[in-house]
Amino acid sequence: MLNIKTIDDTTINERVYQLNLGPQHPSTHGVLHLLMKLDGEVVVEAEPIVGYSHRGHEKMAENRIWEQFLPNTSRIDYLSGLIYNHGYCMAVEKLCGIEVPERAEYIRVITSELNRISSHLLGIMAFVMDIGAFTPFLYGWDDREHVLDLLERVAGSRLTYCYNRFGGVRNDIDREFCDGTRRFIDRLRGRFSDYHNLITENIIFIKRTRGIGIITEDTALDFGVTGPTLRGSGVGYDVRKNEPYSVYPEFDFEIPVRKEGDVMARYQVRMAEMEQSMNIIEQALDGLPQGPIRSKVPLFIDPPAGDCYFAFESARGAVGYYIVSDGTRIPYRIKVRTPSFSNLFVLTRILPGNFIADCIATLGSIDVVVPEIDR
Amino acid sequence: MNITQLPIIKEIYGFLGRDLTAAVTGILIILVFVPLNSAFLVWLERKVAGHIQLRPGPMEVGPHGILQTLIDAVKLMGKEMITPKLADKFLFWLAPIIIIIPAIVCFVVIPFSPMMQVREMNVGILLIFSFSSLTVLSILMGGWASNNKYALIGAVRAVAQNVAYEIPLLLSTMSIIIMTNSFKMSEITAAQSGVWFIFYQPVAAIIFFISTTAETNRAPFDLVEAESELVSGFHTEYTGMRFALFFLAEYTNMFIAASMGAVLFFGGWHGPFFPGLIWFMVKVYILIFVIIWVRWTFPRLRFDQLMNFAWKFMIPAALLNLMVTAVLLKVL
Amino acid sequence: MSSLSGLKEYIKEILTGSKSLLIGMGITLKRLFVPIVTVQYPRRKLTMTPNFRGHIEAIYFDDTKSHHCIACGLCMRTCPSHVIKVQGEKEKAGERKYGRKYYIDFTKCSLCGLCVDVCPEKTLTFSHEYELACISRWDGVIDIMKRLEERP
Repeated sequence: MLNIKTIDDTTINERVYQLNLGPQHPSTHGVLHLLMKLDGEVVVEAEPIVGYSHRGHEKMAENRIWEQFLPNTSRIDYLSGLIYNHGYCMAVEKLCGIEVPERAEYIRVITSELNRISSHLLGIMAFVMDIGAFTPFLYGWDDREHVLDLLERVAGSRLTYCYNRFGGVRNDIDREFCDGTRRFIDRLRGRFSDYHNLITENIIFIKRTRGIGIITEDTALDFGVTGPTLRGSGVGYDVRKNEPYSVYPEFDFEIPVRKEGDVMARYQVRMAEMEQSMNIIEQALDGLPQGPIRSKVPLFIDPPAGDCYFAFESARGAVGYYIVSDGTRIPYRIKVRTPSFSNLFVLTRILPGNFIADCIATLGSIDVVVPEIDR
Repeated sequence: MNITQLPIIKEIYGFLGRDLTAAVTGILIILVFVPLNSAFLVWLERKVAGHIQLRPGPMEVGPHGILQTLIDAVKLMGKEMITPKLADKFLFWLAPIIIIIPAIVCFVVIPFSPMMQVREMNVGILLIFSFSSLTVLSILMGGWASNNKYALIGAVRAVAQNVAYEIPLLLSTMSIIIMTNSFKMSEITAAQSGVWFIFYQPVAAIIFFISTTAETNRAPFDLVEAESELVSGFHTEYTGMRFALFFLAEYTNMFIAASMGAVLFFGGWHGPFFPGLIWFMVKVYILIFVIIWVRWTFPRLRFDQLMNFAWKFMIPAALLNLMVTAVLLKVL
Repeated sequence: MSSLSGLKEYIKEILTGSKSLLIGMGITLKRLFVPIVTVQYPRRKLTMTPNFRGHIEAIYFDDTKSHHCIACGLCMRTCPSHVIKVQGEKEKAGERKYGRKYYIDFTKCSLCGLCVDVCPEKTLTFSHEYELACISRWDGVIDIMKRLEERP
């Protein structure tokens, strides 16, 4: 019997009762468990309980060769699998000193940004669905379908890509992919006005999101919040800009920042980020160099003994791979710093004093992916 | 066509008496009509929602999935009816039965056409109001008896919401009643043979529409069910046919609300060329379509916003509208 | 005075709010008449892109009238889920081995494609099959050599 008693029973007076929001609940996006103490509908205390989807990815890495961890990376955060793929390959390349052809880096950036768009579309629309509007969710999925079709064309898979390889990528992109991507960008730009009219300017949506679930700058920094959630709180930190990696320095893009720190700000940051991603993709497609897509690497790599930390920006925030090699073909340790974990625990600070409905909105706006929390 | 002119009906009249026969026939027709109508409405809702969301909706059972709801009902009948261990068994059993009664009773006074009304009452509107208030009692019973926190929160929300929105509903209806001097549904309809009341009372119509949407717990006021917050609200623990009864009642209430709207503001059976029944049904289904359309467009309100909206905007506006109507009609 | 301006703002908010609601309803109404985007699956099927990654299968080569598998076992070693089993044999002593048996337990495959990458003879590829529902877990075990023989 699983017996969880984390909130001290003696502190519960007669007005306050406990509610287990999750692990099976429609709007926890998986198996997140929030143990809440409620006074009527107002939250007195909220405690996220994690671990329901712990799959032991980090331990798995210690039992297999470096290449065999590649499929795992797309499954840590299944919504931005390509970005995690990209990051893991870059971390190992940094450790081994493998040079990557420029064309491969461009392809990696294009696919990663497409993946970011698909992740943001899902994140935003699932959040809007949590607030109660079901239809925008499916409009978002209609657009997301086009991204997935594009990624399927190049990577062969729609969700768990496993597309990057050490020293390059698996397949080259073709003319049709480039044209399709441009068409998709035009299409998505055209859809933005509909999204703004249907969601952003809707009075009910504004009332539900403005001034709700405010994460102040200090709170965000205290909890180590990253990604759109941090940028919604007024801190313009993005790994792509602050610690540039890959070929990001060659592109001209902005980091959207909002000062308010509320649910609306996080939503707006995500919307603006999709536009910036589209800018990056367009620039990358324009400047796509010719050349090989994969450098010469041995069949099974043998990194030198040593360790390295590599940070990159996934759709949810800064991810870090800390990899330790003892000079064999099997990693000694791979530690993944996932943004959802630190983003989630800011809830303990901001949820008390809010209604249940606002809790759901806040949880949706932080856009956690539960398997990524537990790894 | 007047049903009472048929010879067989006349013979039965002679045997049982006119009133009893009319009532029994009417009730039987209602008992058949209510489930079929709800089945059609569920199908309509799924179809409209589907096409709004760029997908076809039910397609497999029957042409364009028209029989889907019937199959669903058969499935629900076959399901086990689970009663939670710690539930209040009697109330848990009673709640779905109580919720279906007002839904059926309200049909008695709805004038489908000049001749098709089960029972003419001089307090027709009041009867609908008083019986539809019973719905909330059943929701409270179901939510309380389930012994589930989500269900309880949903039930508490339902009570507050229905109490708050019944006031603007009544007030907006009162401004019509001032104009017609009657509570009779048929007289209100008859008074609109020239101009529909929506042109005299646009504010009242809007308030009526919003309030009925809230009264029938439809989105964006579906806080009682609020899927993303309360799982399923008051019927979280209900399964099988009990759940189906709640579902049936929801769609029947929607039909009643739409038919009230048609009678009060859109001239009921009045319309050129076609018989009254067709006009009435067309108006009702257009109103239902609007309710469905609204549901699939908007996010859900928060509970306190809902209450603020009722007490701070709807009730003052309805009162003001009523006052202006009264002054214009009775004083001037 | 301040309460009057507050009232003004309140009314203005209600008006702009109602306008935004009407615009939203207009968008959904417009979509009601747009053709649907979904595919009614069993009636219509999509063709997969050339790069689609289904389960693996052996490529038929005209020069040997068969596959090129030499049963080196690299795919077996690189598979993260250990679902591949290859067994080879030599026709005569001293000759090269060739793959005789090749099984993949597709129920546990994670579709990463590492086996295809690593194959020195490039005799592996991905099938484009996606209708893989089966009633027994043993139906998920695919005999690749048998598939190669049965191919048209």
